[in-house]
Amino acid sequence: MSSIIIILLGTTMLYVFAASRIEAYVKTLSLQGIFLFMLIILDIKELNWLNIAFLVLETLIIKAVVIPYFLLNVIRKNEIGREVEPYLSQFYSLLIGSAIFIFGFVGAFWSAKANVGIKPLYFGVSLVLIIASLFLIVNRKRIITHILCYMMLENGIFLLSLSVANEMPLLVNVGVLLDLFVGIYLFAIFFNKIQAMFDGNHIDILTDLKD
Amino acid sequence: MITILLFLPVFLGAAVLLISRKVVTRTALLLMPAIYIAVVLCLWFGINWVILPGWLNIYFNFDPIGIYFLTIMTVVYSAASIYSLSYFKEHNVSPQKEAGYTVTMFLFAASMTGVILSTHLALMWVFVEATTLSSALLIYFERKKSSLEAAWKYIYICSIGISLAFVGIIFLSIGSKSVGSLFFSDLYQHASQINPFWLLISFVFVFVGFGTKVGIAPIHAWLPDAHSEAPSPISAMLSGTLLNTAFLGLIRYQEIMIHANQEYFSNFLFLITGFLSLLISAVFMLQVKNYKRMLAYSSIENMGILFIGIALGKPGIFAAMILLVAHSFSKTSLFLTSGNILHLYQTKKIDSVSGILKKDSLTGWLWIISLLSISGMPPFPSFIAKFLIIKAMFMLNLGWLAVPFFILLAVIVYGMSVSVFKMSFGESEFTATKPGLNFSSYATQIIILILLLIIGTNIPDMILNLIKNAAGFLN
Repeated sequence: MSSIIIILLGTTMLYVFAASRIEAYVKTLSLQGIFLFMLIILDIKELNWLNIAFLVLETLIIKAVVIPYFLLNVIRKNEIGREVEPYLSQFYSLLIGSAIFIFGFVGAFWSAKANVGIKPLYFGVSLVLIIASLFLIVNRKRIITHILCYMMLENGIFLLSLSVANEMPLLVNVGVLLDLFVGIYLFAIFFNKIQAMFDGNHIDILTDLKD
Repeated sequence: MITILLFLPVFLGAAVLLISRKVVTRTALLLMPAIYIAVVLCLWFGINWVILPGWLNIYFNFDPIGIYFLTIMTVVYSAASIYSLSYFKEHNVSPQKEAGYTVTMFLFAASMTGVILSTHLALMWVFVEATTLSSALLIYFERKKSSLEAAWKYIYICSIGISLAFVGIIFLSIGSKSVGSLFFSDLYQHASQINPFWLLISFVFVFVGFGTKVGIAPIHAWLPDAHSEAPSPISAMLSGTLLNTAFLGLIRYQEIMIHANQEYFSNFLFLITGFLSLLISAVFMLQVKNYKRMLAYSSIENMGILFIGIALGKPGIFAAMILLVAHSFSKTSLFLTSGNILHLYQTKKIDSVSGILKKDSLTGWLWIISLLSISGMPPFPSFIAKFLIIKAMFMLNLGWLAVPFFILLAVIVYGMSVSVFKMSFGESEFTATKPGLNFSSYATQIIILILLLIIGTNIPDMILNLIKNAAGFLN
């Protein structure tokens, strides 16, 4: 069961590569949060209740509801256009996305063979999430898509921390939560300001400071 | 003591926000560094008291290198706080904004203290992240278009960097299953049991992550923007303490590499990026148009030299520790003085400033003497540090490295001196405006330069031991 969810989680990333509308990104983000929540419920049994409560809060509440809602609000309030506006065309993006997937599966097979004590599928897909979101950040012009892809990067890192079989201490979870929550808070503030001050939302406008 | 350093800023900050009166804000602004000074003095004399709660002592600890970094931070933080008073006056900051500034500065200082004192890798990571969040607000303090751009770039680049550092920490925990803990002491003790493959991969990620915060080339893009757009006291804090704390994170990680006998790999990375930083800094120093950006490139240069020092091993580390204090103090003095110049001329362009000595001679002299200090002229400690690094290169039979090192340094010093002398001498075009600077705009720089002279000429045994103990950490 958990393998299916992991595969679905990976597929969402492929969908992001093909999608051309920003709202699709936000919905994907929310979906990823739900998938991560299901993974935790299915897979992790040995943790204590406090940690589980914390993980549920992190995935179901924060990742799946609060952040997407918040971002959707920002998008609607600022009347941001719907297109994501990539530098590379959709076709090449998908091609590169597929290459990243192949790399992720190679990573998964390798880790299964090398027997390093991590869950192979988790490991492979988390690599896909991390590398793919970094690629998307580089390949998108919109500042809002940068924020969205950063959140996907965070999801990838979260999955990676789940792949390590020995439980991550609560402390680290606090770190991830701090990162997500305060990060998005600040991002949203600054994004609203950029929108208001620069009258635009492409990274091309942020070129005042240079040598 | 740890409790005071970590929790008092939060309580004091809450009080400042609630009351939001000028007198309270300013008292608190000066009280906090005074407490830091008291704590550091106690540490120097070996006094340490523990209040509560006890579990904090597992996660935070004063070790020799921590005390050294905390001392530097205290001096820079105190100077920045005192200078902030004249900054408030010059910019007519409203009481609410003053309170906001003070509180954010408290949080910034507390998070840096957290980085310095943590004994746990993941906890340190959390605090490094916290420094980004608190300082981003300070960079955006002037609410200008350019400061917004700088803050955005800073927060975005550093957030991605720090996320990659977290990936590195996860990789380390995969490789160190047998150790089963991320406390530094456990990692050092059982370093040989860590799987080398994962250790090396994790080092690369952590190096990129913390390196972004240190502002090492080629991941320095945020640094000139943030340093030039922040208020001058904040620029001093960023350059004089924030870069150091991220650097401390790398030093603690390097210690794991040394214990695991993998330092050949990390030294190589330190050396390459160190020289690359010198190169980038030299190239930009010749064409930079903004004097605060010029200081920022000088920070990149000094971080590069620190990295080279670490890469050279035992003899280089001692030199790096001297350079650390030399750079932090000189750069604080330079940035605070640049605040004076900005106030006098209302521009950051090098071409629009001339004749500082005629307009306000004290600012001009501070500007020139601080330049001498940062560029490594004797008797300032920066000279000793750079000399020792070149000596270390010859001791390790890497004498040929000294040639590019020396050439790049010469280019940088040339580029900086041309700008500084051009600004200081000549005729001042705007003689009509009154200087309007008060004593606190000069006092801190004078004290800091005197401290540097003392360290450079006749270093007290106490400070020497402090540096030696700090350098001993990596041996």
